[in-house]
Amino acid sequence: MFTSSLRTPKQGNSLRECEDVAHVLPASAPETWLAEPVFAAVADGASESLLAGDWADLLTRSVIDATRDDECVLRDVDRFATALVDAGEAWRGWLADYVATREADGRPIAWYEQPKLDRGPHATVLAARFDTDSTSATRWDVAALGDSCLFHTRDDRLLRAFPLESAEAFDNSPGLVNAFNRDHALLARHVRTLSGSAEQGDQFFLCTDALAAWFLGAAARGDQPWHVLSEFTRSGDPDGFEVWLKKAREEGLMRNDDVTVVHVDLG
Amino acid sequence: MTYAAEISRANPSCFVFLVDQSASMSDPIGGGAQQRKADVVADAINRLLAELSVKCAKEEGVRDYFHIAVIGYGHTVGSAFTGPLAGRDLVPLSQVAEKPARVEKRVKKVPDGAGGLVETTTRFPVWVDPVANGATPMCRALSRAESLVSDWVARHPDCFPPIVLNLTDGESTDGDPASAAWAVQTHVSADGAALLFNLHVSAAKAVPVMFPDTDVALPDTYSRTLFGMSSLLPPHMRFYAMQQGVTATDLTRGFVYNADITSLVQFLDIGTRATDLR
Repeated sequence: MFTSSLRTPKQGNSLRECEDVAHVLPASAPETWLAEPVFAAVADGASESLLAGDWADLLTRSVIDATRDDECVLRDVDRFATALVDAGEAWRGWLADYVATREADGRPIAWYEQPKLDRGPHATVLAARFDTDSTSATRWDVAALGDSCLFHTRDDRLLRAFPLESAEAFDNSPGLVNAFNRDHALLARHVRTLSGSAEQGDQFFLCTDALAAWFLGAAARGDQPWHVLSEFTRSGDPDGFEVWLKKAREEGLMRNDDVTVVHVDLG
Repeated sequence: MTYAAEISRANPSCFVFLVDQSASMSDPIGGGAQQRKADVVADAINRLLAELSVKCAKEEGVRDYFHIAVIGYGHTVGSAFTGPLAGRDLVPLSQVAEKPARVEKRVKKVPDGAGGLVETTTRFPVWVDPVANGATPMCRALSRAESLVSDWVARHPDCFPPIVLNLTDGESTDGDPASAAWAVQTHVSADGAALLFNLHVSAAKAVPVMFPDTDVALPDTYSRTLFGMSSLLPPHMRFYAMQQGVTATDLTRGFVYNADITSLVQFLDIGTRATDLR
């Protein structure tokens, strides 16, 4: 399979301020064929949080590591919740280093940062695993908490949208993983999992919310948004993608937000 | 759709706080609390500015999603900022956050996780000190707010509409404030008319009221006048008010009587909310 991804900040923000994260293993160029299992995750840090992008980054890496260690993590809400709690444990260490670095740089935590640091950052997360066997059949598993989505397409059809299935289902209070949430049962209640099989030629798109809402809206109108996305992901064309996003936002087709997509192309 | 404009650094909005600093503000607030009205209002302003700063804080500092003016009215009408911002009117929020007059340490009680309370120290920035001196020129204060709002929407025609929040004991001494209040709300951006909200602090021993949709429970002419001057809450604010337990209807107004108005900050949308799972 081929993998590629694009990540663009909301209009008016710099790339450094983008709080969406995509992480794919093994890392490879879009034109490189991968025969081994592929792990991919996207996360969307909440704008109101402090260090949301850093938390999203740690979260995606943690859940992928957990999935590599135990492929059942994406099939079992309890195991996925454990991976989320473990990511939170890692956050405590990360945060201690961050605070120490700020002190050392002569820029201690300001009064207006402290309440948000105490609350901890929030992010959505979606992680997936794709494993193709010798007969070219692919098994896939996905787990999510929040409104980042996975879409499975074949030719001109959208086969599956997960975990949200319509553009109307999005709002600005999605389910979020808080770095200090140790309530395993609560996290597990909000985790959704799905598994399936796919054929050679099928496509998967992992998207954060604004793009996912656009995707579902376009599909509901009878369009085939996966073809639009494929043009940019296959060519690895971030500039063209940005121009297209700007137009879509100006036309009111997409909310102005950070945008991330991972494309897994089964060839 | 109105009141849906994105609030961003490229398209900021503004807040104008009007603070009653008249002599009558030295009277105690009703309801048994031992605080003067001037202390309650100064605390409310300082909390609102702190909440706004925290809401807009990111790693690199506070983002200028809002510009802030705090206008005092009493002996004079003018900027109520003390400290480094003294004398200034509309100030970018990042500068507000960086330049309080001082940061006090205050003790507050927080849940201890075992059903009890434990005392902890928090940092409490102060921009506005309590003042109680002179008459209550509310009409002049509203005219000053109108001037700031008018200039703001001229320079930011697509902004989320400016919000004017008047904190007072309600006893205007320079005429009926209703027409000056209406004038504030005639200034519109492409996203809607400027909003005027009121916090009434009163010495009367009446039941506190938050965001009512009628004035029948209000105790006097002053509170009913302020209720009538207040804008209807836009739909998304009603939604957030309901999330906080307020029974909001189409007629709910941005008016609070002898209660905490800090929750107003939570009615503002600057992106994905950091909401905990339930």
